[in-house]
Amino acid sequence: MSLFLLLLVVVGAGAVLSVQAAINGKLGQSVGVLRSSLLTFVVGAVITALLIVFFEPAQAVSLMDVPKWQLSGALFGVTYMLVMVGAVPRIGAAVATVAVIVGQLGMGMLIDNFGWLGNPAIELSGSRMLAMACLALALVFMYRSSTRDA
Amino acid sequence: MMQNTSSIKAVPAATPVPRPGVRLLLLPLVILAGMGLSVEAGVLGPLGEQVGHLWATLSIFGVGSAILFLFTLLSGPRPGPALSDLPRWQLMGSFLGPVYVVVLTLVTPMIGIAMTMIAILCGQVGKSVLIDHFGWFGATRKPVNTERWIALALIVVALVLIARGDA
Repeated sequence: MSLFLLLLVVVGAGAVLSVQAAINGKLGQSVGVLRSSLLTFVVGAVITALLIVFFEPAQAVSLMDVPKWQLSGALFGVTYMLVMVGAVPRIGAAVATVAVIVGQLGMGMLIDNFGWLGNPAIELSGSRMLAMACLALALVFMYRSSTRDA
Repeated sequence: MMQNTSSIKAVPAATPVPRPGVRLLLLPLVILAGMGLSVEAGVLGPLGEQVGHLWATLSIFGVGSAILFLFTLLSGPRPGPALSDLPRWQLMGSFLGPVYVVVLTLVTPMIGIAMTMIAILCGQVGKSVLIDHFGWFGATRKPVNTERWIALALIVVALVLIARGDA
């Protein structure tokens, strides 16, 4: 029950993400990818700061107390963006999309399975394997539909 | 981080150069970049549990802003209109970013990274199918072919499989 609700929330977040990507894509075309991303991050920081000021309860541990590697998340995001800017024109959007998702899901399964980075370990079960097979098939279809459009 | 499937399509595809050598070199790089996205989610979840979800989100946007500011500064003057000359709604996309990151920090400790990523993917593909189909937000309107719908259905099946297997 609560799992279902959580999943709905995450699917919704994915939908929001693709709305954002569609809007930012337009923006990036006119002002450049660097500037549109900078805008995204600055506005994101400002909004989050506002939310913290008004809604966040006091925390016992601050960002300055945790090990530094736990703050490295943004580095991966920015690297991803720059790699994409460089790679998409050369290998094509369809191939790049599939490659990203393969990396994303493969790594997701690995982190879950071994409980890396302080995450709870979730074993790679038979149904997870089957799910990966479905996703692989989905990617094949997405790839074929994109290459046909292009 | 937060541009995935449909933003990749939005990048103007300049002169596609089908050189197999380059492609073979770039492919592992792109896969690594995708793995980075999962690592990011993996770092965020536990961090949010310790310092609070909004603080974890701020760490992403704060560090990201700082790095991108430096890049923008070093890359020199850019051609193109100033941000203030653009239609307002094009700037609205930035307001949606925090939604994604906050959900990521909240949810990954509860349902795991793989399931989070698949659910995100499901929402993205579903929404971008709709955006393409109806031409929302200034995207070029094009009818969505059957293959996309099949892909979407398969992603939903995968999500259900994982959710039921773990429950």
